[in-house]
Amino acid sequence: MKPVIETKGLSRFYGAGDTLVKALNDISISIEPGEFTAIVGPSGSGKSTLLQQIGGLDLPDEGKVFLNDKAISDMSGKELSDFRRDHIGFIFQAYNLIPVLSAAENCEYIMLLQGIPAAERKERVYRMLASVGLEGKEDRLPGQLSGGQQQRVAVARAMVSQPDIILADEPTANLDSQTGMDLLDMMHDLNRNEGMTFVFSTHDPKIMDRASRLIHIEDGQVTQEETRDA
Amino acid sequence: MGLTWKLALRNIRRNKRRTLLTILLISMTLAILIFTDGYMRAMTDVMVRSATRLYPGDGQIHHTEYLAERDGEKQIVDVDGHLKKLQQSDLIDGYSPRAMDFGMVSSSANNLAVQVVGIDPQMESTVSKLKLSIVEGQYLTSDGPETQIMIGEPLAELLEVDLGDRLVVSVNNYEINDIDQRLFRVSGVFKLNSKFFDEGMVFVQLPKAQSMMGIGQSVHEIAFNFVDESISSDETLPIWSQLSTKSTIAQGWSQLMPDLATIVGMIDYSLLIVGGILFVVAILGVINAMFMSIYERTYEFGVVLAIGTRRGSLFVLIMAEGLVLALISLVIGVAIGTLIVLVVGLLGIDYGSMDISGVALAEVLRPELNMNHFTELPFAVFVMTLVACLYPAVHAAKIIPAKALHKSL
Repeated sequence: MKPVIETKGLSRFYGAGDTLVKALNDISISIEPGEFTAIVGPSGSGKSTLLQQIGGLDLPDEGKVFLNDKAISDMSGKELSDFRRDHIGFIFQAYNLIPVLSAAENCEYIMLLQGIPAAERKERVYRMLASVGLEGKEDRLPGQLSGGQQQRVAVARAMVSQPDIILADEPTANLDSQTGMDLLDMMHDLNRNEGMTFVFSTHDPKIMDRASRLIHIEDGQVTQEETRDA
Repeated sequence: MGLTWKLALRNIRRNKRRTLLTILLISMTLAILIFTDGYMRAMTDVMVRSATRLYPGDGQIHHTEYLAERDGEKQIVDVDGHLKKLQQSDLIDGYSPRAMDFGMVSSSANNLAVQVVGIDPQMESTVSKLKLSIVEGQYLTSDGPETQIMIGEPLAELLEVDLGDRLVVSVNNYEINDIDQRLFRVSGVFKLNSKFFDEGMVFVQLPKAQSMMGIGQSVHEIAFNFVDESISSDETLPIWSQLSTKSTIAQGWSQLMPDLATIVGMIDYSLLIVGGILFVVAILGVINAMFMSIYERTYEFGVVLAIGTRRGSLFVLIMAEGLVLALISLVIGVAIGTLIVLVVGLLGIDYGSMDISGVALAEVLRPELNMNHFTELPFAVFVMTLVACLYPAVHAAKIIPAKALHKSL
């Protein structure tokens, strides 16, 4: 099967000379469609930097990132913005949502950027919010939702634009353990039912257990890859 | 409503206190500008009116060579012709012919150099405030005795004379080319609240002065006022050439009193300086407020950039927020400015008899509203606010998502 994401010799350095830090060092991985992959490792191992590179939020010093065979590291700023909008969904740790927009408007935002007609936007927003268990809470502002509910809205927003892949950086980091597990279960269900590809970073062993594939990273290098039944 | 406007309107309500302070800063800048403009214009009008309507008039006609040396031999000969033109013009409110020359006034106690002016009492009252400034005795009357003379209150003190006392006036008679001396009796004492006029001028009847100076029916000056005093500094009006002849020239106060014109010009500059200072303070305040707002939302901007918002859209969003702030501030600023001008205009500012650069402020100063306060000044403040927002907007558009999201991705 053709990979959704492929990195070849990906390296990212910070500083220079004696203070040179190799945040990523010659990483070559590929993510297949429909995978539920966790990038795991201790703090400072390079998980977030790798997700930034895969998501086109930062450019590599060496190597390339391919999304559906397209080298995103060669794109201009405008092309990258449009590419992220149309092909990648993001979920961040917290403060994910635009606080002045309701749950529905937050989900609708990305589709407005895509120029999707109003009727279709509305239909998709309500369907996605219902699928993450937020039916009836569409008009609430983020401040009127719990942390777990806000992350569900973030998941719905990431999925509503029908991207090729969803990248999540420690999406449960700011949630209590039960809410975090619930969120992961929900993401896993969406992965199984909708076939959406998820790549998320974590250092929580309980969260790792839910992943179908683990990529261990340490000091900017992949140390181990394992596939498992989740 | 578009997404940008929806976000802009909601974003400015996020930190109400900061928004309120920013609006207050912009609106107070506009209000102060409106008041300062109203005040400065009122000050200019009062200064000009005090300088022109007290005695000289909005404009004057002289022999083309008279003003250079105040040469009494350079007279307006065709007085009736000039008066007819003035009478026929709709722009002219009043006019007064004057025969004038330097002379000497002597009492039993003192001799002083003065300017002796012959006036037609009736016509003079349509130009100057002489008639209204009588503090003792009475204004000149055409059918009164030929010996009547009006002098200023301080001059009366210097000459140590009272009403009815005798004075000898000496002037040059150009017909016989010798000194002509006549006896007068003080019939009126005036006080124009200007040292120049009160100590340095005496007024007699026009025929008497013409006779003493030996100039026949000629005069040295015809002073006149416009119906609308504001046009008197407009040197492009056709009236100036219409009133001038080969041997005479009609000029407005701005040419006759260049010092006053300079002072008035400086008042305009001072408004520019006040406006400039206010603009700098307001621009810095708006930039500060907008940057605070952007710094607080750096992470949020990182998120929206990450999910596909273009940098240009962030620029437009910040500018839209500035636009909303500007529009709200303009409404409040115009309202506050209008209120201040109306209240101060109603109460008035009385400078007493204080003079500025030699010009006595003879009226209570009352700022007034004008179209400028609702058009040019709000527009300038509007542009200022948008200019102040440019730098923060460019900064927001340059945010790098990876850095902004440092805490997460």
